[in-house]
Amino acid sequence: MEQKPADKKTLHIKIAFIVISAVLLPYLVGLFIPLNPILSILLAAISAVFSIIIIFLILKPLQEVINSTHIFSDGNLNHRIDIRTGDEFESVGNSFNLMAEKISKTIQTYEKEKDIAVSQKSKFEEILSSVIDGIIALDFNKNVLFLNKASKEITGYTEAECYGKSIAQLIHLFSNNDEIFAKTYCQEGFNQSVNVVGKGGKQTKVSIMTAQVGTSIQTNLSCILILHDLSKEEELEQMKLDFVSMASHELKTPLTSIIGYLSVTLDEIKDKLPGENLELLRKAFIAAQQLQTLITNLLNVNKIERDQLSVSPEPVEYFPILSKATEDLRAQANQKNIILTLIPQNQPLPKVLADQIRLGEVVGNLIANAINYTNPGGKVEISTQVSPTEITTTVSDTGIGIPQEAIPHLFNKFFRVSNTGQKANKGTGLGLYITKSIIEKLHGKIWVESEAGKGSKFSFTLPIATQKGSVLNTDQFTSYAIQSGSLNY
Amino acid sequence: MNPAAKKILLVEDEDFIRELYVRQLSKAGFEVKSAADGQTGLETLKNESFDLLLLDIMLPGMNGLQLLREFKTQNPASTMITILLTNLGQEAVIKEGFELGAQAYLIKASYTPDQVVNEVKNALFGSNQTPTPPATPNQT
Repeated sequence: MEQKPADKKTLHIKIAFIVISAVLLPYLVGLFIPLNPILSILLAAISAVFSIIIIFLILKPLQEVINSTHIFSDGNLNHRIDIRTGDEFESVGNSFNLMAEKISKTIQTYEKEKDIAVSQKSKFEEILSSVIDGIIALDFNKNVLFLNKASKEITGYTEAECYGKSIAQLIHLFSNNDEIFAKTYCQEGFNQSVNVVGKGGKQTKVSIMTAQVGTSIQTNLSCILILHDLSKEEELEQMKLDFVSMASHELKTPLTSIIGYLSVTLDEIKDKLPGENLELLRKAFIAAQQLQTLITNLLNVNKIERDQLSVSPEPVEYFPILSKATEDLRAQANQKNIILTLIPQNQPLPKVLADQIRLGEVVGNLIANAINYTNPGGKVEISTQVSPTEITTTVSDTGIGIPQEAIPHLFNKFFRVSNTGQKANKGTGLGLYITKSIIEKLHGKIWVESEAGKGSKFSFTLPIATQKGSVLNTDQFTSYAIQSGSLNY
Repeated sequence: MNPAAKKILLVEDEDFIRELYVRQLSKAGFEVKSAADGQTGLETLKNESFDLLLLDIMLPGMNGLQLLREFKTQNPASTMITILLTNLGQEAVIKEGFELGAQAYLIKASYTPDQVVNEVKNALFGSNQTPTPPATPNQT
């Protein structure tokens, strides 16, 4: 099989032998039998015909070689030639088989490597697809190289619609109606909550994060965008808010009965029951009222978070609101032996642009807080200062004060100053959060100045209803203080 | 100013609250009837006339506002005073109630039964009674 085909001349010898035999045959016959010319010609003809037939038989394997090359080139890599003539044809057949063997082996190796590569690729694609977050890979021209399943869902595009196209033409990012452009969000470390507008105006709230890759020109990969869908989280948040709202409303119904029955009972037996027993009932009544305040606060916070806190600002007389809130809490102050003073203005206060009921809540809450956090014998003062455009109201107390480190968190939801060492510290941590939300809805500001042990000063501003001149008290000091907003939280 | 001469209908589905309000209003001298749902309330209003209606909004079946709308359609000339009994956070509903002719609202959770009685007295005889929180919102 390994012999060199060039060394073999068998076929040539075979054919030469037949030609020679065919030519010599009439002469050899002529040596023994006298031949007339006609007979000689006939003999030569017969000899020629036999020679041709034999040569044809010798050359027959050539056809198989030709056929085999056709079959092989048509893709049947398993086809082999089987010629055992001992001549060049057998040699060609062997060479052909050798070549076929090598080719099919090489192809098999390639196929195997291809399979491995494909499976690796599909493994990576599978991994990327199963990532919940959207992943979009961009090249140096900010064209899309790849996007995974989640990003198809977010943007609404299919692969075919995206590949090779500029990201800036496919999606638009908005943050509070301001568009964020590709050159901004394709920068390393970009991380923001945005609205993505995809195919056909499809909008999704996502948090988007960018990672720069671009060092290898070979992959042409420059940056990767990771899109985290926030809509599901918002849905959950909404469900939580709905639940709080529903639960609070459901709690109110029996609580209303409890407070109602306790109040009537207290009223009717206050003269018949020994003081000690009456005190037990009174405490139950106070606790029920505290629970009611808590639920009311929870509902208010719930509304703030749903952005449903209705505030309808209109010009209202301010002094009566201050005076009512002060009087409502006077009994509570007297009980703790605290002097509660509403400092009167020389001139009538201008009307403010506010919601009467909500403003009453704000003032009441600040005064109640001041009373709560002031020790017996202390003072709580409510004062006002008028500037050309706004009124600043300050509720100051001589109470326990607020530690400096607590001040930045004071208006946060559920925040409560710890370690005040006071029994009075029984708030829900919601009052100031609600107060701040209302004041901001009324276009005011609220801040606090305090020193632990010396008392606190809560101030807030409200816009004056009409601009029609007659500034009552242009206190430069006040406006400076407001502008500098020393402690504006 | 004789409460006995005044008839009140209370429509409230919460048994405890209904019983308590009926008790306190009766004690104050009013003639009080009550209904636990909207349909019964409306039928009572068809059969008898009342001076004042204390109407809960969240009711099983026909709600308070539907009751009020139905009643006003049938009796456009009625002089009956309507006070809405509400829960917190129903501003929109209150506004709708006022458009249907309700005169006042009170938030059940924030009013003690005696304050409710006072509100009723104020509404029927004018506000020279003991001070109570405002019974009408600032915008109607």
